[in-house]
Amino acid sequence: MSNSYTRATVFVDADAICAISEDQPLVAQELAYACGVTLEWVAQLVEAGIVEVPAASGPPQAWCFGSGDLQSALEARRLERDFGVDLQAAALILDLQREVRRLKAALQVQSR
Amino acid sequence: MEFKDYYATLGIERGASDEEVRKAYRKLARKYHPDVSKEADAQTRMRDINEANDVLRDKEKRTAYDALADGVARGGAGASGQGGGFQPPPGWDEGFEFHNRAGQGPADHAQFSDFFSSVFGKGAQRGAASGNYRARGEDHHAAIEISVEDAIHGVQRDIALRALETDAQGQPHFVNRTLTVKIPAGVHPGQFVRLTGHGMPGHGGEPAGDLYLEVRIAPHKLYRIEGNDLYMTLPVTPTEAALGAQVQVPNPSGGVVEVSIPPSARSGLKLRLKERGLPGKPPGHLYLLLDIALPPADTEAARKAYEQLAQAVPFNPRRHLGVEEGV
Repeated sequence: MSNSYTRATVFVDADAICAISEDQPLVAQELAYACGVTLEWVAQLVEAGIVEVPAASGPPQAWCFGSGDLQSALEARRLERDFGVDLQAAALILDLQREVRRLKAALQVQSR
Repeated sequence: MEFKDYYATLGIERGASDEEVRKAYRKLARKYHPDVSKEADAQTRMRDINEANDVLRDKEKRTAYDALADGVARGGAGASGQGGGFQPPPGWDEGFEFHNRAGQGPADHAQFSDFFSSVFGKGAQRGAASGNYRARGEDHHAAIEISVEDAIHGVQRDIALRALETDAQGQPHFVNRTLTVKIPAGVHPGQFVRLTGHGMPGHGGEPAGDLYLEVRIAPHKLYRIEGNDLYMTLPVTPTEAALGAQVQVPNPSGGVVEVSIPPSARSGLKLRLKERGLPGKPPGHLYLLLDIALPPADTEAARKAYEQLAQAVPFNPRRHLGVEEGV
Protein backbone atom coordinates (compact mmCIF):
# COMPACT_ATOMS: atom_id res chain seq x y z
CA MET A 1 0.00 0.00 0.00
CA SER A 2 1.22 3.44 -0.84
CA ASN A 3 1.30 6.01 1.90
CA SER A 4 0.68 8.78 -0.60
CA TYR A 5 -2.27 10.98 0.08
CA THR A 6 -4.04 13.97 -1.31
CA ARG A 7 -5.97 16.74 0.36
CA ALA A 8 -8.91 18.85 -0.64
CA THR A 9 -10.96 21.46 1.14
CA VAL A 10 -14.53 22.00 0.09
CA PHE A 11 -16.92 24.67 1.28
CA VAL A 12 -20.33 23.03 1.32
CA ASP A 13 -22.85 25.28 -0.33
CA ALA A 14 -25.76 26.25 1.94
CA ASP A 15 -28.21 24.90 -0.66
CA ALA A 16 -26.68 21.44 -0.27
CA ILE A 17 -27.22 21.36 3.52
CA CYS A 18 -30.51 20.21 4.90
CA ALA A 19 -31.49 19.09 8.40
CA ILE A 20 -33.92 16.20 7.98
CA SER A 21 -37.18 17.21 9.63
CA GLU A 22 -40.94 17.24 9.14
CA ASP A 23 -40.53 20.20 6.84
CA GLN A 24 -37.68 18.61 4.91
CA PRO A 25 -38.26 14.85 5.08
CA LEU A 26 -36.70 12.01 3.15
CA VAL A 27 -38.74 10.32 0.48
CA ALA A 28 -38.80 6.53 0.46
CA GLN A 29 -36.11 6.21 -2.21
CA GLU A 30 -33.81 8.53 -0.24
CA LEU A 31 -34.33 6.46 2.91
CA ALA A 32 -33.49 3.36 0.89
CA TYR A 33 -30.29 4.94 -0.46
CA ALA A 34 -29.28 6.13 3.01
CA CYS A 35 -29.65 2.61 4.41
CA GLY A 36 -28.13 0.88 1.40
CA VAL A 37 -31.34 -1.08 0.81
CA THR A 38 -34.12 -1.39 -1.74
CA LEU A 39 -37.47 0.36 -1.84
CA GLU A 40 -39.11 -3.00 -1.20
CA TRP A 41 -37.21 -3.29 2.07
CA VAL A 42 -38.51 0.14 3.11
CA ALA A 43 -42.04 -1.10 2.38
CA GLN A 44 -41.36 -4.07 4.66
CA LEU A 45 -40.26 -1.64 7.39
CA VAL A 46 -43.56 0.18 7.06
CA GLU A 47 -45.45 -3.10 7.20
CA ALA A 48 -43.58 -4.09 10.37
CA GLY A 49 -44.37 -0.69 11.90
CA ILE A 50 -40.70 0.19 12.38
CA VAL A 51 -41.28 3.42 10.49
CA GLU A 52 -44.69 4.94 10.15
CA VAL A 53 -46.45 6.65 7.33
CA PRO A 54 -49.96 8.06 7.49
CA ALA A 55 -52.44 5.56 6.09
CA ALA A 56 -53.55 7.98 3.41
CA SER A 57 -50.05 8.64 2.13
CA GLY A 58 -50.56 6.69 -1.03
CA PRO A 59 -47.90 4.64 -2.81
CA PRO A 60 -44.34 4.22 -1.43
CA GLN A 61 -43.11 6.92 -3.80
CA ALA A 62 -45.18 9.42 -1.80
CA TRP A 63 -43.99 8.38 1.67
CA CYS A 64 -42.00 10.81 3.82
CA PHE A 65 -39.62 10.04 6.67
CA GLY A 66 -37.89 12.02 9.40
CA SER A 67 -34.59 11.63 11.25
CA GLY A 68 -36.14 9.25 13.80
CA ASP A 69 -37.28 6.99 10.97
CA LEU A 70 -33.80 6.95 9.47
CA GLN A 71 -32.34 6.05 12.86
CA SER A 72 -34.87 3.24 13.32
CA ALA A 73 -34.32 1.95 9.79
CA LEU A 74 -30.54 1.83 10.29
CA GLU A 75 -30.91 -0.01 13.59
CA ALA A 76 -33.37 -2.48 12.08
CA ARG A 77 -30.93 -3.08 9.24
CA ARG A 78 -28.17 -3.97 11.68
CA LEU A 79 -30.42 -6.28 13.69
CA GLU A 80 -31.52 -8.05 10.55
CA ARG A 81 -28.03 -8.31 9.12
CA ASP A 82 -26.04 -9.19 12.23
CA PHE A 83 -28.56 -11.19 14.25
CA GLY A 84 -30.65 -12.65 11.47
CA VAL A 85 -33.90 -11.47 13.08
CA ASP A 86 -36.94 -10.82 10.94
CA LEU A 87 -38.39 -7.34 10.87
CA GLN A 88 -41.29 -8.15 13.22
CA ALA A 89 -38.80 -9.24 15.87
CA ALA A 90 -36.63 -6.21 15.09
CA ALA A 91 -39.67 -3.98 15.68
CA LEU A 92 -40.19 -5.53 19.10
CA ILE A 93 -36.49 -5.22 19.98
CA LEU A 94 -36.47 -1.57 18.96
CA ASP A 95 -39.60 -0.88 21.03
CA LEU A 96 -38.03 -2.55 24.07
CA GLN A 97 -34.77 -0.70 23.50
CA ARG A 98 -36.60 2.63 23.40
CA GLU A 99 -38.50 1.75 26.56
CA VAL A 100 -35.29 0.76 28.39
CA ARG A 101 -33.70 4.07 27.40
CA ARG A 102 -36.78 6.02 28.46
CA LEU A 103 -36.92 4.31 31.85
CA LYS A 104 -33.19 4.74 32.41
CA ALA A 105 -33.52 8.44 31.65
CA ALA A 106 -36.47 8.73 34.03
CA LEU A 107 -34.50 6.90 36.73
CA GLN A 108 -31.61 9.27 36.27
CA VAL A 109 -33.91 12.23 36.81
CA GLN A 110 -35.50 10.60 39.87
CA SER A 111 -32.19 9.74 41.47
CA ARG A 112 -30.87 13.28 41.41
CA MET B 1 -1.99 4.48 16.37
CA GLU B 2 -2.30 0.84 17.18
CA PHE B 3 -3.03 -1.80 14.57
CA LYS B 4 -6.29 -3.39 15.61
CA ASP B 5 -6.47 -7.15 15.83
CA TYR B 6 -10.08 -7.79 14.90
CA TYR B 7 -9.71 -11.53 15.42
CA ALA B 8 -8.61 -10.96 19.00
CA THR B 9 -11.49 -8.51 19.51
CA LEU B 10 -13.96 -11.26 18.65
CA GLY B 11 -11.87 -13.93 20.38
CA ILE B 12 -11.50 -16.08 17.25
CA GLU B 13 -8.67 -17.55 15.19
CA ARG B 14 -7.49 -16.06 11.92
CA GLY B 15 -8.95 -18.96 9.98
CA ALA B 16 -12.37 -18.74 11.64
CA SER B 17 -15.33 -19.57 9.42
CA ASP B 18 -18.13 -17.11 8.68
CA GLU B 19 -20.32 -19.01 11.10
CA GLU B 20 -17.70 -18.72 13.85
CA VAL B 21 -17.42 -14.98 13.22
CA ARG B 22 -21.19 -14.64 13.43
CA LYS B 23 -21.48 -16.67 16.63
CA ALA B 24 -18.64 -14.82 18.34
CA TYR B 25 -20.12 -11.47 17.38
CA ARG B 26 -23.60 -12.30 18.62
CA LYS B 27 -22.33 -13.60 21.93
CA LEU B 28 -20.20 -10.52 22.58
CA ALA B 29 -22.86 -8.11 21.32
CA ARG B 30 -25.26 -9.46 23.93
CA LYS B 31 -22.63 -9.16 26.65
CA TYR B 32 -21.63 -5.60 25.83
CA HIS B 33 -24.80 -4.03 24.45
CA PRO B 34 -24.84 -0.67 26.23
CA ASP B 35 -28.56 -0.92 27.01
CA VAL B 36 -28.17 -4.07 29.07
CA SER B 37 -24.51 -4.48 29.95
CA LYS B 38 -23.22 -3.83 33.45
CA GLU B 39 -19.64 -3.58 32.20
CA ALA B 40 -18.10 -0.15 32.72
CA ASP B 41 -16.56 -0.02 29.25
CA ALA B 42 -19.57 -1.50 27.45
CA GLN B 43 -19.90 1.34 24.97
CA THR B 44 -16.27 1.17 23.85
CA ARG B 45 -16.31 -2.61 23.70
CA MET B 46 -19.51 -2.62 21.68
CA ARG B 47 -17.99 -0.18 19.23
CA ASP B 48 -14.91 -2.38 18.84
CA ILE B 49 -17.01 -5.51 18.42
CA ASN B 50 -19.23 -3.88 15.79
CA GLU B 51 -16.16 -2.65 13.97
CA ALA B 52 -14.46 -6.06 13.97
CA ASN B 53 -17.67 -7.74 12.86
CA ASP B 54 -18.24 -5.27 10.06
CA VAL B 55 -14.85 -6.09 8.58
CA LEU B 56 -14.61 -9.82 9.22
CA ARG B 57 -18.14 -10.67 8.07
CA ASP B 58 -17.48 -9.06 4.69
CA LYS B 59 -15.30 -11.14 2.35
CA GLU B 60 -13.87 -8.17 0.48
CA LYS B 61 -13.02 -6.21 3.61
CA ARG B 62 -11.67 -9.27 5.39
CA THR B 63 -9.31 -10.05 2.52
CA ALA B 64 -8.04 -6.46 2.50
CA TYR B 65 -7.65 -6.51 6.26
CA ASP B 66 -5.75 -9.80 6.23
CA ALA B 67 -3.38 -8.43 3.58
CA LEU B 68 -2.82 -5.34 5.68
CA ALA B 69 -2.22 -7.45 8.81
CA ASP B 70 0.35 -9.52 6.92
CA GLY B 71 2.08 -6.34 5.82
CA VAL B 72 2.23 -5.08 9.39
CA ALA B 73 3.52 -8.44 10.62
CA ARG B 74 6.32 -8.27 8.06
CA GLY B 75 7.05 -4.67 8.99
CA GLY B 76 6.39 -3.78 5.37
CA ALA B 77 3.50 -2.12 3.63
CA GLY B 78 1.32 -0.13 5.93
CA ALA B 79 3.70 -0.52 8.85
CA SER B 80 5.86 2.11 10.51
CA GLY B 81 9.61 1.83 10.75
CA GLN B 82 9.54 1.63 14.52
CA GLY B 83 7.97 -1.13 16.48
CA GLY B 84 5.76 -2.44 13.70
CA GLY B 85 2.85 -0.20 14.63
CA PHE B 86 0.40 0.85 11.96
CA GLN B 87 1.52 4.02 10.26
CA PRO B 88 -1.29 6.43 9.64
CA PRO B 89 -1.09 9.17 7.06
CA PRO B 90 -0.27 12.72 8.17
CA GLY B 91 -3.20 14.54 9.72
CA TRP B 92 -4.47 11.24 10.92
CA ASP B 93 -6.63 12.21 13.87
CA GLU B 94 -8.80 14.73 12.12
CA GLY B 95 -11.90 12.71 11.46
CA PHE B 96 -13.44 9.94 9.56
CA GLU B 97 -15.40 8.91 6.56
CA PHE B 98 -17.64 5.95 6.16
CA HIS B 99 -18.55 3.78 3.33
CA ASN B 100 -22.01 2.57 2.55
CA ARG B 101 -22.47 -0.22 0.08
CA ALA B 102 -25.83 -1.33 -1.10
CA GLY B 103 -27.22 -4.11 1.05
CA GLN B 104 -24.58 -3.76 3.72
CA GLY B 105 -26.07 -1.67 6.52
CA PRO B 106 -23.90 1.36 6.86
CA ALA B 107 -24.40 4.03 9.37
CA ASP B 108 -23.25 2.29 12.48
CA HIS B 109 -19.85 3.08 11.03
CA ALA B 110 -20.30 6.50 12.51
CA GLN B 111 -19.07 5.08 15.79
CA PHE B 112 -16.10 3.16 14.53
CA SER B 113 -12.49 3.91 15.25
CA ASP B 114 -9.98 5.94 13.32
CA PHE B 115 -8.27 2.74 12.31
CA PHE B 116 -11.39 1.35 10.74
CA SER B 117 -12.32 4.53 8.97
CA SER B 118 -8.85 4.88 7.54
CA VAL B 119 -8.54 1.43 6.16
CA PHE B 120 -12.07 0.81 5.05
CA GLY B 121 -13.43 4.30 4.73
CA LYS B 122 -14.07 4.16 1.07
CA GLY B 123 -13.38 0.61 0.08
CA ALA B 124 -11.79 -0.40 -3.13
CA GLN B 125 -13.82 1.74 -5.49
CA ARG B 126 -14.87 -1.42 -7.16
CA GLY B 127 -16.50 -0.95 -10.48
CA ALA B 128 -15.21 2.57 -10.89
CA ALA B 129 -13.03 1.63 -13.82
CA SER B 130 -15.30 -0.92 -15.41
CA GLY B 131 -16.72 0.15 -18.74
CA ASN B 132 -20.49 0.56 -18.81
CA TYR B 133 -21.14 0.39 -15.09
CA ARG B 134 -23.65 3.05 -14.09
CA ALA B 135 -24.82 3.71 -10.57
CA ARG B 136 -25.68 6.56 -8.28
CA GLY B 137 -22.91 7.14 -5.75
CA GLU B 138 -23.41 5.55 -2.37
CA ASP B 139 -24.40 7.53 0.69
CA HIS B 140 -21.94 8.09 3.51
CA HIS B 141 -22.55 8.45 7.21
CA ALA B 142 -20.63 10.24 9.92
CA ALA B 143 -21.45 11.81 13.25
CA ILE B 144 -20.84 15.34 14.43
CA GLU B 145 -20.79 16.42 18.06
CA ILE B 146 -21.72 20.00 18.83
CA SER B 147 -22.50 21.97 21.97
CA VAL B 148 -25.96 22.87 23.25
CA GLU B 149 -25.30 26.47 22.29
CA ASP B 150 -24.23 25.51 18.77
CA ALA B 151 -27.36 23.38 18.35
CA ILE B 152 -29.50 26.35 19.25
CA HIS B 153 -27.67 29.03 17.28
CA GLY B 154 -26.09 27.04 14.44
CA VAL B 155 -22.36 26.78 13.86
CA GLN B 156 -19.83 26.53 11.07
CA ARG B 157 -17.57 23.50 11.41
CA ASP B 158 -14.77 21.94 9.46
CA ILE B 159 -15.30 18.23 9.08
CA ALA B 160 -12.20 16.29 8.10
CA LEU B 161 -12.93 13.11 6.21
CA ARG B 162 -10.47 10.48 5.16
CA ALA B 163 -10.80 7.62 2.76
CA LEU B 164 -8.74 4.97 1.06
CA GLU B 165 -9.13 5.20 -2.69
CA THR B 166 -7.68 3.30 -5.59
CA ASP B 167 -6.35 5.39 -8.46
CA ALA B 168 -6.50 4.61 -12.17
CA GLN B 169 -3.35 2.50 -11.87
CA GLY B 170 -4.96 0.46 -9.12
CA GLN B 171 -2.72 1.95 -6.43
CA PRO B 172 -4.41 2.59 -3.08
CA HIS B 173 -3.83 5.94 -1.48
CA PHE B 174 -5.36 8.08 1.19
CA VAL B 175 -7.54 11.03 0.33
CA ASN B 176 -8.19 13.62 2.99
CA ARG B 177 -10.84 16.18 2.39
CA THR B 178 -12.17 18.87 4.66
CA LEU B 179 -15.75 19.99 4.37
CA THR B 180 -16.66 23.39 5.76
CA VAL B 181 -20.27 23.02 6.80
CA LYS B 182 -22.75 25.41 8.34
CA ILE B 183 -24.82 23.32 10.73
CA PRO B 184 -28.22 25.00 10.74
CA ALA B 185 -29.64 26.57 13.89
CA GLY B 186 -32.20 24.47 15.71
CA VAL B 187 -30.84 20.96 15.22
CA HIS B 188 -31.52 18.44 17.94
CA PRO B 189 -29.81 15.23 19.09
CA GLY B 190 -30.42 12.31 16.77
CA GLN B 191 -31.30 14.56 13.87
CA PHE B 192 -29.54 13.95 10.57
CA VAL B 193 -28.07 16.71 8.46
CA ARG B 194 -27.80 15.78 4.82
CA LEU B 195 -25.06 17.16 2.60
CA THR B 196 -26.35 16.54 -0.89
CA GLY B 197 -23.78 15.24 -3.34
CA HIS B 198 -21.01 14.80 -0.78
CA GLY B 199 -21.16 11.01 -0.56
CA MET B 200 -19.46 8.64 -2.99
CA PRO B 201 -19.03 9.78 -6.58
CA GLY B 202 -21.49 8.30 -9.06
CA HIS B 203 -20.42 5.93 -11.82
CA GLY B 204 -21.08 6.33 -15.52
CA GLY B 205 -22.44 9.85 -15.25
CA GLU B 206 -24.82 9.13 -12.39
CA PRO B 207 -25.02 11.64 -9.50
CA ALA B 208 -22.90 11.41 -6.35
CA GLY B 209 -24.40 10.07 -3.15
CA ASP B 210 -25.12 12.14 -0.07
CA LEU B 211 -23.30 12.47 3.23
CA TYR B 212 -25.43 12.18 6.37
CA LEU B 213 -24.18 13.72 9.60
CA GLU B 214 -25.87 12.48 12.74
CA VAL B 215 -26.05 15.28 15.31
CA ARG B 216 -24.84 14.47 18.79
CA ILE B 217 -24.84 16.97 21.63
CA ALA B 218 -21.74 17.16 23.80
CA PRO B 219 -22.11 16.91 27.59
CA HIS B 220 -22.66 20.36 29.10
CA LYS B 221 -21.39 21.73 32.39
CA LEU B 222 -24.84 23.04 33.39
CA TYR B 223 -27.39 21.03 31.47
CA ARG B 224 -28.17 17.36 31.32
CA ILE B 225 -29.77 16.45 28.01
CA GLU B 226 -32.75 14.13 27.63
CA GLY B 227 -33.98 14.13 24.05
CA ASN B 228 -34.84 17.75 23.37
CA ASP B 229 -35.26 18.57 27.07
CA LEU B 230 -32.58 20.12 29.23
CA TYR B 231 -32.29 19.56 32.97
CA MET B 232 -30.45 21.89 35.31
CA THR B 233 -29.98 21.74 39.07
CA LEU B 234 -30.98 25.06 40.61
CA PRO B 235 -29.55 25.69 44.06
CA VAL B 236 -31.74 27.84 46.35
CA THR B 237 -31.36 28.94 49.95
CA PRO B 238 -33.71 27.61 52.67
CA THR B 239 -35.17 31.11 52.89
CA GLU B 240 -35.90 31.24 49.17
CA ALA B 241 -37.43 27.76 49.29
CA ALA B 242 -39.56 28.56 52.35
CA LEU B 243 -40.78 32.00 51.44
CA GLY B 244 -40.62 31.87 47.66
CA ALA B 245 -38.39 34.08 45.57
CA GLN B 246 -37.58 35.42 42.17
CA VAL B 247 -34.21 34.13 40.95
CA GLN B 248 -32.35 34.49 37.70
CA VAL B 249 -31.12 31.51 35.72
CA PRO B 250 -29.18 31.34 32.46
CA ASN B 251 -31.34 30.92 29.39
CA PRO B 252 -29.93 28.23 27.07
CA SER B 253 -30.53 30.43 24.05
CA GLY B 254 -28.72 33.36 25.69
CA GLY B 255 -29.24 35.95 28.41
CA VAL B 256 -31.03 35.17 31.64
CA VAL B 257 -34.58 34.34 32.53
CA GLU B 258 -36.34 35.19 35.81
CA VAL B 259 -37.96 32.28 37.58
CA SER B 260 -40.45 32.30 40.45
CA ILE B 261 -39.70 29.86 43.23
CA PRO B 262 -43.05 29.07 44.89
CA PRO B 263 -43.29 29.33 48.70
CA SER B 264 -42.79 26.07 50.64
CA ALA B 265 -40.78 24.60 47.76
CA ARG B 266 -39.15 21.30 48.60
CA SER B 267 -35.82 19.99 47.45
CA GLY B 268 -36.20 18.07 44.20
CA LEU B 269 -39.16 20.17 43.04
CA LYS B 270 -39.15 20.29 39.25
CA LEU B 271 -39.97 23.57 37.53
CA ARG B 272 -40.61 23.60 33.81
CA LEU B 273 -39.67 26.48 31.57
CA LYS B 274 -41.74 25.77 28.52
CA GLU B 275 -39.96 25.46 25.19
CA ARG B 276 -36.66 26.76 26.52
CA GLY B 277 -34.88 23.47 25.85
CA LEU B 278 -33.41 22.37 22.56
CA PRO B 279 -35.23 23.37 19.39
CA GLY B 280 -37.33 20.85 17.54
CA LYS B 281 -40.88 19.97 16.65
CA PRO B 282 -42.08 20.21 19.34
CA PRO B 283 -39.30 22.17 21.07
CA GLY B 284 -37.87 20.77 24.28
CA HIS B 285 -38.34 22.28 27.72
CA LEU B 286 -35.87 23.44 30.33
CA TYR B 287 -36.43 21.70 33.66
CA LEU B 288 -35.03 23.17 36.86
CA LEU B 289 -34.52 20.76 39.73
CA LEU B 290 -34.49 22.60 43.05
CA ASP B 291 -31.65 21.82 45.40
CA ILE B 292 -31.86 23.49 48.81
CA ALA B 293 -28.35 24.57 49.81
CA LEU B 294 -27.77 25.17 53.53
CA PRO B 295 -25.78 28.24 54.55
CA PRO B 296 -22.70 26.93 56.42
CA ALA B 297 -22.88 27.18 60.20
CA ASP B 298 -19.25 28.15 60.46
CA THR B 299 -19.53 31.43 62.38
CA GLU B 300 -20.95 32.30 65.77
CA ALA B 301 -23.59 34.47 64.12
CA ALA B 302 -24.66 31.68 61.79
CA ARG B 303 -24.92 29.14 64.59
CA LYS B 304 -26.98 31.61 66.64
CA ALA B 305 -29.30 32.22 63.70
CA TYR B 306 -29.90 28.46 63.30
CA GLU B 307 -30.63 28.16 67.03
CA GLN B 308 -33.04 31.08 66.92
CA LEU B 309 -34.82 29.49 63.95
CA ALA B 310 -35.14 26.20 65.81
CA GLN B 311 -36.64 27.98 68.83
CA ALA B 312 -38.97 30.12 66.77
CA VAL B 313 -40.14 27.31 64.51
CA PRO B 314 -40.40 23.99 66.37
CA PHE B 315 -40.09 21.46 63.56
CA ASN B 316 -39.60 17.72 63.59
CA PRO B 317 -39.03 16.35 60.08
CA ARG B 318 -38.98 12.79 61.52
CA ARG B 319 -42.43 12.91 63.04
CA HIS B 320 -43.73 10.32 60.55
CA LEU B 321 -41.18 7.81 61.84
CA GLY B 322 -43.24 7.47 65.03
CA VAL B 323 -40.30 8.02 67.38
CA GLU B 324 -40.78 10.47 70.23
CA GLU B 325 -37.61 12.48 70.61
CA GLY B 326 -36.39 14.51 73.60
CA VAL B 327 -38.82 12.84 76.02
